[in-house]
Amino acid sequence: MINRRKFIKAGVITATAAALSIDSLDALASGSVKKLTILHTNDVHSRIEPFPMDGSRNQGLGGVARRSALIKKIRSEEANVLLLDAGDIFQGTPYFNLYGGELEIKLMSDMRYDAATMGNHDFDNGLEGFYKQLPHANFPILVSNYDFSDTIMHQSTQPYKIFTKQGLKIGVFGIGIELKGLVGDKNYGATVYLDPVQKANEVAALLKNELKCDLVICLSHLGYKYSDNRMSDQILAAENEHIDLIIGGHTHTFLQQPQDVKNKAGRITTINQVGFAGINLGRLDYYFEQYRGKKLITSSPYTISNDADI
Amino acid sequence: MRIAIQFRIIVLSAVSVFLFSCSSNYKLINARRVLYPISPSLAADSTIIKTYLPYKLKMDAQMNAVIGYSAIALTKTSVGGESLLGNFFSDATLHEARKTYPDIDFAMPSTNGGLRNDLPLGAITLANVFELMPFENELIVFELNGSSVQSLMNMIAKSKGQPVSGITIKITDRKPVEVFINGKPFDPSKSYRVLTSDYIAGGGDDVNSFKNPVKSTIVGLKVRDALIQYIKEQQASGKKINSILDRRVTND
Repeated sequence: MINRRKFIKAGVITATAAALSIDSLDALASGSVKKLTILHTNDVHSRIEPFPMDGSRNQGLGGVARRSALIKKIRSEEANVLLLDAGDIFQGTPYFNLYGGELEIKLMSDMRYDAATMGNHDFDNGLEGFYKQLPHANFPILVSNYDFSDTIMHQSTQPYKIFTKQGLKIGVFGIGIELKGLVGDKNYGATVYLDPVQKANEVAALLKNELKCDLVICLSHLGYKYSDNRMSDQILAAENEHIDLIIGGHTHTFLQQPQDVKNKAGRITTINQVGFAGINLGRLDYYFEQYRGKKLITSSPYTISNDADI
Repeated sequence: MRIAIQFRIIVLSAVSVFLFSCSSNYKLINARRVLYPISPSLAADSTIIKTYLPYKLKMDAQMNAVIGYSAIALTKTSVGGESLLGNFFSDATLHEARKTYPDIDFAMPSTNGGLRNDLPLGAITLANVFELMPFENELIVFELNGSSVQSLMNMIAKSKGQPVSGITIKITDRKPVEVFINGKPFDPSKSYRVLTSDYIAGGGDDVNSFKNPVKSTIVGLKVRDALIQYIKEQQASGKKINSILDRRVTND
């Protein structure tokens, strides 16, 4: 705890000797340490192919085929992988105008996405437009603060899902942005927007305390931060108690490294967002030490390293 | 034998589910992060390409048509509150809408956030315009009274500039200090005809100045179609599309 506080105060990411020795300890092999790999995207915006080579800023970057090859390579190396998306799957290239998002969702299913949340542009063809593409999804759409009860989507989403990987329990839930003023009224219809901080705290507490998740992840489309006091991942991170990781979207923010925020409980809530259009794939590896009885074997502090050689 | 092993796995996982449901058995001790740029040096998954190829071929047949040429790259990079792309976008839509409604005073057809991609230098394809303006929004002419126009100016100034045409706005400390509409000083006692989209008018991007119009008229032209029409016309008359920064919006 002291270590953690110190880390937050200094705001410096340290790669400690202990952290680097985890693999060499053979702790992974003996099973006392478990490793979880999170891969994530946000705001892919129908960018199926790489940006065209036309001299524009992002020319040649992105592309689903490359992302898929990279994901396959990582899956071949890691036992416990979760692949997640923070919304705005739709809109941005003629693929969406012509096919309504069918291809975007199909390819995500092919890449074996584990879950995604909804962004505001996923409403661009109305609730019906999103609903229509759901048969192509073999992953759940997670949203906890949109009440779809009086809409066609009333059975199409779930607030959270728990993934079990080698005994690790990972709770993942979704939080959407306020739609009024951002999405045309008729496109979201009778969807009721619920307070994101209140809902996130409620769901995260359920996942951590009652359902005993070892890690709680929020897929958020609130946006990284704003110059005014609009709700953002920054605010959610500071105002929650049980979220370990917020995978964000909406603001198309290119974070060079994830940001670690001290939350209301004095613990770390990490925020990450990797730009847009599939220009990047984010990766976070988490290591967990197993309690034997009540004791930890090494009782290591929580350490964090960025740009890791993984 | 195989059945026995499977059975053992089932029993083991049943036991572990029971254990893990009691409490968290793990403590988070370490996190390592890395960002992978999806660059041309990465291998591509051919099964993915195979899946999207039929969609691509059909799309390209429709979208790769060159509809015109640009003299310069039109980017949305803000220079003092205006951008080459924003000026082009606003001028082109105003030009097209004025063919039907010549008395439109000025235009704000989109916010900066609504300009979804830059236009490249050289050949402009239909796909380029779809990526710039992917939304199915309609152009609408609103007659607004002076106070609604003032509220729109305040919104533009607060955000340090939005794509406009037919108007100049001098902004100081996020407030509009000098506004000229059609070359004449803004008169709050007058009403003005303003071109915008149904998205903006409906309160999109938190623009609330179109809520109490004197009158509104649907142009019958989608924003994207206006852009396409304009680019095609330029091409037909042997011209490249162009745009300049003319200090229509300035920030002090």
